[in-house]
Amino acid sequence: MKRNTIVIGITFLVLATFAWAGWANWMYRKQAAARALASASNAELVPAAGDVPAGASLTGKPAPNFTLEDLSGNKVSLSSYKGKPLLINFWATWCGPCKIETPWLVELQNEYGPKGFQIIGISSEGNDLKPDDKEGWAHDKAAIAKFVKQEHMQYPVLINGDSLATEYGGLDAMPTSVYVDKDGKVVAMQLGISSKEDMEDHIRKAMGEGQ
Amino acid sequence: MIVPNSLSRSLLTAVCLIAASSAAFCQQDPLTSSSHQSVLKTQAVEYLYPEQVSVPAGKTSPVTLHFRIQQNLHINSHAPRSEYLIPTVFSVPETSGVKLADATYPPGADFTLPADPDQKLSVYTGDFTIQAKIVSTPGNHLVEAKLRYQACDQTQCLPPKTIIVPIDVIGK
Repeated sequence: MKRNTIVIGITFLVLATFAWAGWANWMYRKQAAARALASASNAELVPAAGDVPAGASLTGKPAPNFTLEDLSGNKVSLSSYKGKPLLINFWATWCGPCKIETPWLVELQNEYGPKGFQIIGISSEGNDLKPDDKEGWAHDKAAIAKFVKQEHMQYPVLINGDSLATEYGGLDAMPTSVYVDKDGKVVAMQLGISSKEDMEDHIRKAMGEGQ
Repeated sequence: MIVPNSLSRSLLTAVCLIAASSAAFCQQDPLTSSSHQSVLKTQAVEYLYPEQVSVPAGKTSPVTLHFRIQQNLHINSHAPRSEYLIPTVFSVPETSGVKLADATYPPGADFTLPADPDQKLSVYTGDFTIQAKIVSTPGNHLVEAKLRYQACDQTQCLPPKTIIVPIDVIGK
């Protein structure tokens, strides 16, 4: 009996040792990996503002279709704007440069809207909300709605632009502006802000003017 | 109490199986686990040091955390001037055995974007430090603290990001 008790004791001791060793090894390896990742920050992945690099640009290609919700929950598709020159403007509430260019967009919509031009704002908050995260989406929507009201954005604003990242060249930075002609072809794509004049030039190009 | 030989053999077999599975588990590379995939993209902010701190267990202890922001980028300070801007925030998971009692952030520097010279932002650039006060339970804690920030350059912004700040905290 004594012998068996010793065998059981040793067995559990060995089991405990293996369990501890495995856990400790895993934790140290995990931390080492985290350190390696934390120090690997040399990559310059922020493209300079301006025209999108050729590889990521949609210029010359048909604008990818999408269906997103607006702030009221209505579904809006790009295809519903068929035949109109467009500016699809991806933006975010936390993006300072987006806030700077918003008044330009409002003015440009007022000026060129009567000539058939349309701006579509698409909020891309970049916070990886899951579809069933009702609280997260409600918080996002409230912030977007407040921003839209404060900035007097009179053009359509859609949400969850992040879901279009693959189709629209990654959307790695905000704002990203995509200019589309009446045939649905992208005529220019720009990352970051430049000036109202630059935006106006692109709009005129999308409208088939000044070419 | 008599333990039959067959039970002893079973126990020994279990030990061998656990040893084998434990070894296999340890061979798995944490870099390939899904929780770290997103970190492989751009990091505007790098955690510099300390990697390890030794503090008296149960007592509030100061730790100075050093970070570096990539050249030509800035991040919002802990107290940005607009409600829409995302503040820089340091946090420690509650289950880590280490509690964050307080964190003191540096004041932000005034910064203006060329397209809007009248609007002053409160930002961090270059190197910055956060003065954390922690309370550790006794023992060695491999803490994966977090820093959430949102970075921009002069014309565009990157999405908000949370990086892991790994610190080995030894509570004595």
